[in-house]
Amino acid sequence: MHVPPWLWYAVITLVAWGVVGILQKLSTNHISAESSLIWLVVGFLLLEPLLYPGASVFHYSAWNLAWALLSGVLNALGAWALFAALKSGGKASIVAPLTALYPLVVIVLVPFVLFESITGMQLVGIGCALIAVILLSA
Amino acid sequence: MIFNGTLKARWFWYSMACVLCWGGWALLSKLGSREIPPETMQFLFTFGTIPVCIALLVARGFKLEKSPKGISYGILNGVLSGIGGLALFAAYHTNGNTSLITTATALYPMITVVLAVLLLRERFRPIQAVGLIFAAAAIVIFSL
Repeated sequence: MHVPPWLWYAVITLVAWGVVGILQKLSTNHISAESSLIWLVVGFLLLEPLLYPGASVFHYSAWNLAWALLSGVLNALGAWALFAALKSGGKASIVAPLTALYPLVVIVLVPFVLFESITGMQLVGIGCALIAVILLSA
Repeated sequence: MIFNGTLKARWFWYSMACVLCWGGWALLSKLGSREIPPETMQFLFTFGTIPVCIALLVARGFKLEKSPKGISYGILNGVLSGIGGLALFAAYHTNGNTSLITTATALYPMITVVLAVLLLRERFRPIQAVGLIFAAAAIVIFSL
């Protein structure tokens, strides 16, 4: 069995973000969700010296640099919208599984933006994953 | 009607805004990762989160709770989120299928559920067991 290389990275993401889910619960036991997001960004900033790219950053295309920055903006805005949903009366048991469906946006747009396609079997896998996310977040 | 009520509820539209923002985040992460290596992507991504963080601070009138425990967990959250993000950018950088990578990495609640049961002694509900089976099936199919 040849495991695709991306899957190993995806497992690191899964484990790291899975632990984050626990820490999120622990932090919001003591502070509000918004404060928790602010301190999360402080945690991001602690990593910055290790990631500092130096002058090489100017070699990349302006568009790709813009996408990288904008991805950060959208990620944080999404987290804010999630808090707003919970604060305006949304039940966590409904809001969490609903917002976990963000891969659907990517799946719908990818054929038009990146011209990638998927096989029938992979589509079954995506279906399983989306059902899993809904059940696990409920 | 229940459905009509949902469409009028503010929480529903905030949730949809979240889905669109996170969908956009994942797609733009992939677009940038075609050229930019993961470390630089995470470096730039962090700068993108700062304006929202400042807007949140302003909206709260610069009032933050002073709980050392809450703050420590929050900062640790950021460090681990950053490491997870770095691995996500690395996955996108490999040229693997974008839909599969995005869907696979969105399965992180499976780890949270298991840890919540083991560490926080939360009750394990049957529906979560079914969820774990689906998640495992998805990962096996992706690895084929």
